[in-house]
Amino acid sequence: MTNPINLRAISLNIVDDVFINESFSHIAINNTLKQYQFLDKQDRAFITKLANGTIEKAIELDYIINLFSNLATEKMKPAILNILRLTVYQLKYMSKIPESAAINEAGKLVEIRKYSGLKSFVNGVLRNVARNIESIEYPNEQKKPVDYLSITYSIPKWIIERYRKDYDYNTVKIMCEAFSKEKPITIRCNLNKITTNDLINALQEQGAVVEPGNYLPYAIKLLKYDYIDGLSSFQQGLFQVQDESSMLIAEVANVKKGDLVIDLCAAPGGKTSHIAEKLEGTGTVISRDISDTKVNLIKDTVNRLGLKNVQVEKADALELDETLINTADVVIADVPCSGLGIIGKKADIKYKTSNEQIRELLELQKEILKIAVQYLKKGGILVYSTCTINSKENQDNVKWCINNLGMKVESISKYLPQELQTDEDKGYIQLIPGIHATDGLFVARLKKDE
Amino acid sequence: MAVRQIRQIGDEVLRKKSKEVTEITPKVVELIEDMIETMYGAQGVGLAAPQVGILKRIVVIDVGEGPIILINPVIIEKSGSEAAEEGCLSVLGRKGIVERPTFVKVKALNEDGDEVEYEGTGLLARAFCHEIDHLEGVIYVDIMTEEVEVEEDIDEE
Repeated sequence: MTNPINLRAISLNIVDDVFINESFSHIAINNTLKQYQFLDKQDRAFITKLANGTIEKAIELDYIINLFSNLATEKMKPAILNILRLTVYQLKYMSKIPESAAINEAGKLVEIRKYSGLKSFVNGVLRNVARNIESIEYPNEQKKPVDYLSITYSIPKWIIERYRKDYDYNTVKIMCEAFSKEKPITIRCNLNKITTNDLINALQEQGAVVEPGNYLPYAIKLLKYDYIDGLSSFQQGLFQVQDESSMLIAEVANVKKGDLVIDLCAAPGGKTSHIAEKLEGTGTVISRDISDTKVNLIKDTVNRLGLKNVQVEKADALELDETLINTADVVIADVPCSGLGIIGKKADIKYKTSNEQIRELLELQKEILKIAVQYLKKGGILVYSTCTINSKENQDNVKWCINNLGMKVESISKYLPQELQTDEDKGYIQLIPGIHATDGLFVARLKKDE
Repeated sequence: MAVRQIRQIGDEVLRKKSKEVTEITPKVVELIEDMIETMYGAQGVGLAAPQVGILKRIVVIDVGEGPIILINPVIIEKSGSEAAEEGCLSVLGRKGIVERPTFVKVKALNEDGDEVEYEGTGLLARAFCHEIDHLEGVIYVDIMTEEVEVEEDIDEE
């Protein structure tokens, strides 16, 4: 028997899994690639690129399909729609694939999904798209700015509208543009074990291409590498993968030696390990998360980095632990959020969240904050953070803490790198992708009454 | 070891029923070694003895998890059903959609004459069925639901 692997069919399985079964794209991709470990690196890269690209660009792809199909995308069978999306993605974004190959392969996928009767429909739409792919008209930016951004960057309209409530059009456009670009992964040097310079040298010796971070002296950008897990400096615990914005959480926390710190939603352990490192082996970080999987992720991080002052525990941040009341010098509340600051990172976050979900999250965030504040000693510090760009979840929750929990904002300028300091110190910072070279993180520092 | 010639559809030998292997002679061992080399040389995932012109019930398979050798294989369990594209080293340049079980369990002898059992899902299950069909003189084109056009493979960045 010949090797029958149909790479597009594998990509289609992933796309179906995300849009039909509502799986998370990174999980769907990992689970699928696990079954095809025997494929070479190129084939695996093809599968990932095609699946991820199709998911990421779905709104634009649907717009194009609708221009050339008599049947609207909403009325199509989901399996057929995904085949069209997958193929239009190839026509538009994979210039090395000849039109005829992409369209023929679509026919095979229709067979595989057992819709032989729809082959000519699919074929017709795709030939139409292929003929016109170079001259597709997009919505007019001046007349329909929201449609323009939504379709150009494949971001749901309601998210664009949400951003527009907090920012002007140009800022939103810069953000959308930044989300569409891949940015290098950053790592945090484990200063308890090695200096940043020595780590840079070690990484280069291991074949990685690196660059200093943008803001913090111990941040390093990894531009080229094979597998992070394969780098011996990773196994030795010399660094932690973390976006530079998240590194600011420990900076803003500004812990002192001997402090008791509680990290309420800690997985995968980036903040916990950063703070434990800053405590230089003193004090304790109580590091919690809700599930065994998440707790295991934290344990792996802590063990790999060789940190001794961390206590990892499985606990729900919504359940008050009476033994911790009035004990903590610092509480870190990096709460579940809508993720509107990282929609460039995972292709499907933007489709999975909704205004309704945000309403539920707002309740959850406030419940966690109520509990967080109770754990603080008098004069203790609450660090509140999210990875979203949404004043309701960010600035408004800070205000709510002040008005309802008796907290006071603390100046944060002195903890921030110079490039991020502003004239007006409100006690929080909202990072904007495109304007800042980071994810869209929000972090605030609040103090409990003495 | 040597690469043997793979017979193409139209060759009578592919249509005959293969015979049980009664004794694992040095010649049989050599045949198995040659079949594996021939399969790898053709970038295949499975090969049956009649495809190299020998009417013995011997199959070799490697779907990327190492070679599996089956002498006198019998399917003892199967379940599920999936239609997918399939091709054959004896039907070069063509492909077709074939419906196969998603899970297959086979019983056979290995090259030492010991009884072995294998369970396969997906591609491996498909390969078990495809190769064992060859031992009966059956080629996938006999049972495919649809022929698919073959395009040159495209390398992407």
